[in-house]
Order: sequence, then structure tokens, then C-alpha cells
Amino acid sequence: MKYTFILKAVFHSISHRKLSVFTSIFAISAAFAFLAAIGCVSFGLAATAVNSSLAFPLIVGPAGASDTTLVMSTLFNTDKPAGTLDYEVAEKLAGDERVSAVFPIARSDSYMGIPITGVESSYINEIARGFSEIDNDIESHDILGENGKKCAVVGAKTAARYEMKVGDTFFGSHGSVGDEDAHMHDFEYKVCAVMKAVNGPEDFAIFTNLRSVWEIHEHGHHHHHEEAEDKEHEHEHASEGKITAVLVKTKNPVFTAALEREYSENGFTSATDTGRTVRKLLTYMNKAEKAAGFFSYGTLFLVMVMVFVTIMTSINERKREMALMRTLGIGKLPISLMIFLELFFISVFGIALGTLGGHAVLAIFKPVIDFELGINLEPFFFTEIEFRGTVYTLIAGVVLSLAAMLKIYRMNLVEEIAKD
Amino acid sequence: MASFKGISIKNLTKSFKNADGGKNTIFENVTFELNSGAILRLSGASGSGKTTFMNVMSGLIKPDSGSVFFGNTDITSLSEGEKDRFRAENIGYIFQTFNLLSPFSVIENVYAPLAFAGKLPANYKDKALDSLDKVGMKDFAAKKPYHLSVGQKQRVAAARVLFADPPLVFADEPTASLDRNSSELVKNTLLELNKKGTTLVLTSHDTIFDDIKPDIDFNLETGVLS
Repeated sequence: MKYTFILKAVFHSISHRKLSVFTSIFAISAAFAFLAAIGCVSFGLAATAVNSSLAFPLIVGPAGASDTTLVMSTLFNTDKPAGTLDYEVAEKLAGDERVSAVFPIARSDSYMGIPITGVESSYINEIARGFSEIDNDIESHDILGENGKKCAVVGAKTAARYEMKVGDTFFGSHGSVGDEDAHMHDFEYKVCAVMKAVNGPEDFAIFTNLRSVWEIHEHGHHHHHEEAEDKEHEHEHASEGKITAVLVKTKNPVFTAALEREYSENGFTSATDTGRTVRKLLTYMNKAEKAAGFFSYGTLFLVMVMVFVTIMTSINERKREMALMRTLGIGKLPISLMIFLELFFISVFGIALGTLGGHAVLAIFKPVIDFELGINLEPFFFTEIEFRGTVYTLIAGVVLSLAAMLKIYRMNLVEEIAKD
Repeated sequence: MASFKGISIKNLTKSFKNADGGKNTIFENVTFELNSGAILRLSGASGSGKTTFMNVMSGLIKPDSGSVFFGNTDITSLSEGEKDRFRAENIGYIFQTFNLLSPFSVIENVYAPLAFAGKLPANYKDKALDSLDKVGMKDFAAKKPYHLSVGQKQRVAAARVLFADPPLVFADEPTASLDRNSSELVKNTLLELNKKGTTLVLTSHDTIFDDIKPDIDFNLETGVLS
């Protein structure tokens, strides 16, 4: 009963100081919501990157393309291709006994900022985990075959975002994402399949037949010349027999390393070990996450100091009240314990509210975040950065609570009453 | 109600340092005995040391020398924790101002001291309501102190004393700044407790207490015990 009443007193005291307590809890919550966002977004980015790197161990692109460009322009669709290379490179790789499969790709138009990538059916069969919708006239195993010309296979999230269904048509903009001179033309695509979510960048993509890309290029080229004959065509797009990269599946990591060396040193192409490049990218991401984490921990520390100062100020304001408690026979220990629990509960409430609130906000905005960042966010994943934040905050909360408790314990409160 | 056989004060002395470093003796070598159930009135002008004497008697502040025995217990020799327990179990207070704990409701203020001491009786809520009823504050049981007037707060403090039923009550100007009705209620509460055997230590300039004949009147201004 005694300790129940102490707890009751703590909650009374907290509810009695609504504004300062709310401010304290809100400050801690905001810092934790930020931690939740950092943790979940970087986890989502890392998971997407790792999944993608496992699928295609080697990427071969045009000469001069950096490792990062090769990865970003192919797996993540977030960078422009560095140029083109001959389709023959893909054919040569396909004939190499160290290679188990090749997937030539060619970037072409874009729709609403989403690049449209020309691929062969084998690529779709490789990445797709089934289709949520498919044109009945097209067999799923050869979706981008002869019958699939001008057909578009749409990623799950792209379809959801733009409400694209099988049979819908759309016009692409000639030029890649970010091109200043991207322009609409009359090449019409028809949605022939919507992929089920694969939890990767492919969910945010649009794929079409490689031959369609070549056809568009020719069409766009003529169109362009008709309108402005003197202007040089500047887009880096694949014309007949040209592609922008080849995604390669090798038979083992040793072959990956050997092929990377060969195709980087031949003077016509460049190549990268996807796993190594993604690991490099992850290292940078980890550094960015750590920097953001330190910033958040610093913010949390300042918040805790603010909460501590608020509590200490309230202690000075409550000296008379605590002195009255002592007079009424309420001991030093229960009073100190009350102050300790008050600060501790504020910390715990703040952590719980911030964590739950932060994750809830991430869940609400998941569709937007997913689409904008091209990741598959797990909004309710509790990340290490949050775990550390929780531990640090609880330790700080306990230390500061003990300091406040000690101050109360050492105070000669009864003298407050005797001052009258 | 717990009990002890009277209060024995022996050679009690208290002084404070002046701002100029000198010593201001409030009372010196005070010795007297007060029977259980008696009334001690502390008189004298404002600033003469009535509240200080009360605080020394109840163990809130230490005397320079001397002792205060409640039965066989010398409160001046108890540790802080023992004094807290002693006060919770044996002493009730009504102060001139600042009697209630603001985070608690009126009824919780009535039973808080015993709740913190872990000594709440059975049906404590009913008993607390009875105590509030006796001082006309039952309808305010769920209110917070900031909703009450000064007089109502004093009445709640009186109800707290009624609820705890301690063997000793210190009332320091309990009716100051109260209207006549509230003063009567507080006075009657104190007299009711005294009739049941509670020892009463009282300071008051209010003429409402003039008809009460104390067993001992200690004038702090003159140092005369009568």
C-alpha cells in the first residue's frame, strides 16, 4: 500500500505539472521519433541494396563508367547510364563458360520520372515473384517476347502509385530521369503485366522489351531531327544493337573477380563486382547513419539535461511542499524516491511515445517514403540505433534521477517549514 | 490512537545567529512537564519564538541543548528517519498557511500521512470522508487544494488531524485569516480531540481561544511559565 501510494503520488505530481511534463516528454519523444526514422530508413536502404547485390554478382557497362554509376544506374535506377555498349558484349558473356546467365538492359524513356528499362524476358523471369495482373494474351514465361512489343511490365509500387492496370496505356518522356531536355513523344506503351512486390528497386520500375527501346530510339531520333536538324542528339540511349549494361550471374565468386578484371581492362567496357561496390556503399551509408546517430544522441543528451533542469527547478519550487511532507512524517526516502520515479517515468514515457509515434508515422507515410527513396521500408523494425538510444537515455535518466534524488535526500527540508 | 505518558521538556535552549554574527537566544533552559491530554499554550508577541519552540518540540529543528521526552522517547536523540516515523504515528499539525499537498485531492490529503507510513486503517476512505464531514468539507473530497479558500484548507488540515487521531497535535495560529464559522469549526475539532485525550500545543492570537484554559501557558516573550 505504501509503495502503491508513492506511485500514485508520482502520477499525481506528473499530472499536476502538465505543461513542463508534456514539454519534457515531447522533447524526448521527438528525438526518439527521429532515431526511429534514421534507423528504419537506413535499414530499408541497406536491405534493398543487399538483396539487389545478391541477384547479380557482376555488372558490365560502357568503358569509363565508375563502379558506383554501374550499380546505381542498373540495380537502383537512380543514376543515368554512363553510355552504351554493343549487344555483342552480352552475347560474348553468355557464351563464356564461367557465366550462368546474362541479362542485357537498355535505359530508354521515363514515365513520371520513373525510368523505363528495356530488358529481355529472362530478366523478368529472374526477378519476378509472380504477377498480380497479366494480359491473358501473353504467356508469363515470355512476357517480353515477340508478342510483347511496346508492352510494359510495371513494378508493384509504381502500379499502386499511378493506379496502373493491365490494358492501360501511357506515353513515355524521351530522356532519362533528371534530363533537362526530356520531352514527350508519341510512343505509346501498354501495360501488359503488373509484378507482385519483390521488396527491391524493381518494385519502383517499369520494364519493356529491349527491341521496343531500340525502336523508340530510332523513332525519337528521326522525330528529333525533323524538329531541329541542327541540334545534336545528346541522349545516352541505346540505338539498334546497343545496350547500357549487362547484369551477369557467374558460377562462383572467383569467376566474378576474373571477369571483372578482364572486362575492366579491355578498353571497351568497364565491370564491377556488385557485392564489393554495394558493401562500399553500405559502409558510406553506415557512416552517414552513425553521424546522424551521434547527432541524435547529442540531441537526446541535451533533451535529458533540459528535463533534468526542469525537474530541478520544480524541486526548488516544491521545497515547501516537500517540507510539509516531511513535517507530516513522510520520510526522506519516499520523497526522494518520488522525485527519482518522476524523472524516470518521464524518460520512459518519452522513449515509449517517441518510439511508438515515430514508427506509427513511418507506417503512415510508408508509401510516400518507399516511392521517394526507392526502398522497402519496414516501419515497425526496431533498429540498433534505437536500441542504443533507449539504453543511453535510460542510463542518463537513471543517473540524472539519482542526482535529483540525492539532492532531495541531502536537503534540510524541515528548515523550510521552520522559516515561518 | 497511540499514547505516551506526557511530555517532559528538560533544559531546552535554542538560539540563532544574527546577521552580525552575534547570538540571538530564543529560549533558554526551559524545563516543564505536560501530562497526556493536557493543553499547552504558547504565547507572546509575533517573532518571540512560539513557532520555533513548537518546531523544536516536534523534532523539526534541533535544539542547542536539552531534550524533549515523549514518554520514554527523547525526540532530540532520534535519527531523521525515526523522527519521520514518530511524527507520522504521533503528531498532527495544523499550520497557519500551507497545510495541503497540491498534487493530491482533498481526501488524499486527509489520509496521505498514514498512507506514506503504510499504516492506513481498514475503510480508510469512509473514515476520511467522516472526518471531512465533521469539518463541513465532505462535498469537496475530490477537489484539488487550489480550488479551496484559505479557510477551507484549514478545515481540511483539521480533518487530517481528526482522521489520524494522534496523541499530540500542534496547532500554529490555526484560525489566522479565517472567518468566524471556519474558526469555530477548527476550534471545535481541536477541543473534540482534546476531550478524547489528545495533548494539544497551541499558539494563537485569536480571541476565539480565550475561553480555553490551558494547563500550561508559556510566554516566550517573557520566558514565564504559568
